[in-house]
Amino acid sequence: MPLGKKAFAAIVIAAGLVFPHLLLAHGFVGDRFFPPTIATDDPFAVDELSLPSITAFGDPSSDGVPATREVDWGFEFDKEILPHFAIGVSDDFISQSERGQPSTYGWDNIELTAKYELWHNDPHEAIVSAGLIADIASSGTENVSDSFSTLAPTVYFGKGFGDLPETVNFLRPLAVTGELGESFPTSSDAANQFQYGFAIEYSLPYLQEEVKDIGLPSPLKDMIPVVEFALATDENRATGGLTTGTINPGVLWQTPWCELGAEAVIPVNGRTGSRVGFTVDVWIYIDDLFPKVFGYPIFGKD
Amino acid sequence: MKRQLIAITAICFALLLPASAWAHAFLDHADPKVGSVIASSPDEIKIWFTQEIEPDFSSIEVRDSRGNEVDKQDTHKDSSDKKLLIVSVPKLADGQYTVTWKVVSTDTHHTHGDFSFTVKSQS
Repeated sequence: MPLGKKAFAAIVIAAGLVFPHLLLAHGFVGDRFFPPTIATDDPFAVDELSLPSITAFGDPSSDGVPATREVDWGFEFDKEILPHFAIGVSDDFISQSERGQPSTYGWDNIELTAKYELWHNDPHEAIVSAGLIADIASSGTENVSDSFSTLAPTVYFGKGFGDLPETVNFLRPLAVTGELGESFPTSSDAANQFQYGFAIEYSLPYLQEEVKDIGLPSPLKDMIPVVEFALATDENRATGGLTTGTINPGVLWQTPWCELGAEAVIPVNGRTGSRVGFTVDVWIYIDDLFPKVFGYPIFGKD
Repeated sequence: MKRQLIAITAICFALLLPASAWAHAFLDHADPKVGSVIASSPDEIKIWFTQEIEPDFSSIEVRDSRGNEVDKQDTHKDSSDKKLLIVSVPKLADGQYTVTWKVVSTDTHHTHGDFSFTVKSQS
């Protein structure tokens, strides 16, 4: 190890001993690692980078309406600014095609997120956060993005079940994360929405490391089966009371430097769509790859 | 445009891959195994991690069902395997034991965890 790297390591280790949570930039509460999820947001205000996130879905032709197909190429970057407070930016490059018509391309509006971890309890693997999501009007390409802004105050939560008694040992790898938000568009034509989603995860790494080594081989022992539910119900205007959303069963695979996720995208009703799509996602652990730059708040200490 | 996006993504991966040695150290496997029932007391508790660790800033504690620490407080690394951390224990009586580990990987990331095992002699 070169002297400079060694000195850096000694300084950071010493700082870490004084501030025990300094380098836990991943989404940890107690012994539980909550993986980043795809369709719903996790409750952690930490440094994260999703690049890329690809979602493909479409509808077959029906009742004279031609078949359509959409592929979104997205990214998300979050940076912890103050202890337990992070801001994020995300966007999607949208490709829409309709049979018999030229394809339409463009950027969706930029989405900004501010999130603060309000409370967490290590023994019970529980966390609650609050945030504000802002979709910025006309920040995307005109033909694929909205001309109005949307603000959505949102509450996030996470709960691992590692505190269950040993009589139900095989439930201890379970965890739930979720979000509840209310969106307020700046356009009088668009409906307010109640946006709600949650993810149910069964962590095979947690099973192997904390509960019982059942001899799972790699890469199975690094995988987290998950089912996500991402839903929104319009509350007023002409669409008041109508719900759209998807159910996304899939798997999140933990590697040393990133998470690879793949999920089916199943519409919950005809208003959402009628064909099953898919989404794949790469979450890069930037605090591992660039520990001198990421994994810390810019101001203050965790 | 789609080809350009694919190319940009590929370049991003190419730039990131060389740094893949940096990572948190998680438990890979242990001896005694996590959650196992063993017929006789071990001499040592051994934990293999997914990354190399800094033994000076890492520890293993073993406690009995009453919460008393029973290990010999001599956490040390293996001389040939930098991913292996060891603590010695005296002859353990029948019962359940909790192993709590805290480690710092060579890239300075902290991780911790715990698991239990049970000693249950045949007699």
